[in-house]
Amino acid sequence: MQPYNYLSGFQGLYLNLHIITITLSYFVFFIASLCAVLYLIQDNLLKHKQIGVIFNRLPDLFSLDKFHYRAIGLGFPILTLSILSGFIWVKHIRGAYWNINPRMVYSLSLWLVYALILHVRLSAKLRGRKVAQLSLFAFCIIIAALFSSCR
Amino acid sequence: MDLTVVGINHKTAPVEIREKFSFHPKQVVGVNRLLKETALLSENLILSTCNRVELYAVCARHKDYITNIENFLSRYHNLNISDYKDRFYVYKNKEAVEHLFKVACGLDSMVIGEMEILNQMKKAFQDARESTTTGKILNRLFEKAFNTAKRVRTETFISRGAVSVSSVAVRLAEKILGGLRDKKVLIIGAGKVGEKLVLNLKKEGIGTMLVTNRTLEKAKDLASRFSAEIVPFEDFKSSLARVDIIITSTGSPQYVIGKDEISSLMPLRQLRPLFIIDLAVPRDVQSEVNKLDNVYLYNIDDLQKTVDETIALRSNELDSCFKVIDRSSEHFHHWLLKEGLRVDKEEARGEKQAVGVGLPKEQVSACAGKIS
Repeated sequence: MQPYNYLSGFQGLYLNLHIITITLSYFVFFIASLCAVLYLIQDNLLKHKQIGVIFNRLPDLFSLDKFHYRAIGLGFPILTLSILSGFIWVKHIRGAYWNINPRMVYSLSLWLVYALILHVRLSAKLRGRKVAQLSLFAFCIIIAALFSSCR
Repeated sequence: MDLTVVGINHKTAPVEIREKFSFHPKQVVGVNRLLKETALLSENLILSTCNRVELYAVCARHKDYITNIENFLSRYHNLNISDYKDRFYVYKNKEAVEHLFKVACGLDSMVIGEMEILNQMKKAFQDARESTTTGKILNRLFEKAFNTAKRVRTETFISRGAVSVSSVAVRLAEKILGGLRDKKVLIIGAGKVGEKLVLNLKKEGIGTMLVTNRTLEKAKDLASRFSAEIVPFEDFKSSLARVDIIITSTGSPQYVIGKDEISSLMPLRQLRPLFIIDLAVPRDVQSEVNKLDNVYLYNIDDLQKTVDETIALRSNELDSCFKVIDRSSEHFHHWLLKEGLRVDKEEARGEKQAVGVGLPKEQVSACAGKIS
């Protein structure tokens, strides 16, 4: 029996699209997480009145919050595209869209957390510190997804 | 050839004496020319600011040029310089270079690291160039001083942070809100420190100002001076939702703003960051307000502590600054020595030629041999 060629025809297209978009979205979310970390540090310094060298070097809270939000706004549609292309590819090779494996679970959880972040930020239910903390939580899911199996 | 600085500053003389020797900014160009002619100097530059009056001079020939400079100061200001002799300092060559570099870097300023002096020095240099009293030495010296100041500013923390309560508050506002252009500030009460802060905010281009006070006349007075909008004291709480900065300095013995009020206010303002500056003693704002997300509360002690920390941070940077200055002044001093030797050689050659005119060939060669 001939081995199944994962990279031929439509399958190859969807797999390539999936790989490119997931890499791109993780990179954008990495930038967002960096902004979130810097935001939390600056916020902590301001709350505890530690106005020193680090405070002077770090950007202002407004800019950090803005870049954080924009990075998530950019990464989210790319992640969505990546998950959709992943589903289609799985359908082609396994016959079903949904195949329970750790990486799929992590990817969907990631999508849900970022959707939640965008929702609370847009509806002004949460802002600043808590959104930055949620973003760091989402980044932990990315790390877990990277080391998880996709079988 | 000597490079010299004769001067008086805030460390050696109080303002009552310094003001007697200061030069009007509009007269500096003329005074530079007059000084060059009177004291027979090769190059000179006057630096006259509120904290110092310094005369930088290069003299190639006359040994008594310092007396000439002192006499010039006496005559120009109609004062007896001997009465103030102990107030003046004179630095020559390497010391003069080091002194100028320290001044340029703000290390000799009243507030260490203050960079206003650099602009004043640039203006003084521009004036001296306009009066054509600078030459190869002073041009190079001042350019080096500006470069050194730039390096010190970028390589050390000497000019980082703010060193007054009002400037700290403005800096914090910028770090929390990003910029002040489209931001709104509410001023509750009309204290002196508050006024200074409002003035600084205005200078930084704050968007809108709202003023409220128990006494309407005081609010009107403040509003007219800062072109602000008046809010009746009874209604100021309804305005809290539309402002980004609150400055309070009332004489109220109780809290004017509590945690619950701010907590219920935040959803109305879509959780946008709120910066509260409480300058009042006793305090106007409940300290628990600072625990709320996106709310930053600073009282007068917090601001003063920040000022003290910045000054301490700047003092710790002095060693690093001196290292940069030492390297630059050493480099310039080497160049100055070489330049001095070159000028001396040229002068000797000039004298040789002058001696040679009208003398028999044998005598000329004998004289030339002696000189070289």
